[in-house]
Amino acid sequence: MAAHNHRYTILMMGNPNVGKSALFNRLTGANAVVSNYPGTTVDVTRGFLRKERLEYEIIDVPGAYSLEARDAAEEVAVRILGGHPDAVVMVVLDATRVERGLYLALEVMEHGNPLFVALNMIDAAREREVSVDVATLQEILGVPVVPTSAVRGEGMLDLVEAVHRAQPPDIAAIEARAFGEVKCPAGERPLSIAGTAGGVPE
Amino acid sequence: MQKRLSELEFSESGTVRDIFASRHELNCLGVRVRKHLTMITRQPIKGPVVVAVDDMEVAMGLETARCVIVEVDRP
Ligand SMILES: Nc1nc2c(ncn2[C@@H]2O[C@H](COP(=O)(O)OP(=O)(O)OP(=O)(O)O)[C@@H](O)[C@H]2O)c(=O)[nH]1
Ligand SMILES: [Mg+2]
Repeated sequence: MAAHNHRYTILMMGNPNVGKSALFNRLTGANAVVSNYPGTTVDVTRGFLRKERLEYEIIDVPGAYSLEARDAAEEVAVRILGGHPDAVVMVVLDATRVERGLYLALEVMEHGNPLFVALNMIDAAREREVSVDVATLQEILGVPVVPTSAVRGEGMLDLVEAVHRAQPPDIAAIEARAFGEVKCPAGERPLSIAGTAGGVPE
Repeated sequence: MQKRLSELEFSESGTVRDIFASRHELNCLGVRVRKHLTMITRQPIKGPVVVAVDDMEVAMGLETARCVIVEVDRP
């Protein structure tokens, strides 16, 4: 009998500099292997996390602003996502600039993998008095949203737990909820994230 | 008054009205119609043009900045 009775593959995806590698290091510790993505000079790091007889292979995907790739790193991100249709995706957002990260997040959601969100840098958001309405964000996206701080080690167990609650996103439902079907306090726009008011996604 | 983003003066700010470049290219960096932005620096010849949007700096080529139409804030 195998030592571990189930294995998950988790792709960590997000904009550059949102703390993917910092989270990855927290989750995998020393068990990581860096290699070039075949045919490129782009580094991809893989590691393992074992917990309660479950094994998680975690891939730290190169940062990307979009899946319409414009450089080698974005190209590799697209290829890794395309090559793992069964992987669970952890979309990493920077809590101090959530809106910017949602562009890539929605593109990734269109791929249909089960998905959840790590709302990283929550410590920096608190410090800068940026408040993120996690409950509403979670309700609109319909997937788990977990506040984390890779530097402080906050939210790591919640992240592992969220793997099991990851959902394939329903883009049509997200759109309907984003355009007003979500109940929110009177006078507030849906997705009211402090400091990012204004602007409508195309 | 409307201007091309490439014509905004240092520290002038305004609201994006139209984007005639690949919207995709700018949207994924956080520049969209109705976004408010402020000019930070504008290098001649090919750029870059650097603007602040939502506390973030976004750099783009002069060609791209020419394709962005901005309603300039009144001083
Ligand atoms: N305050 C704070 N800083 C963080 C956190 N996570 C990461 N950082 C910092 O953010 C910077 C970028 O972190 P990385 O882990 O390299 O980001 P990345 O997403 O892997 O970036 P790319 O590999 O370029 O896509 C580093 O200086 C980290 O120390 C966090 O939760 N809070
Ligand atoms: Mg990294």
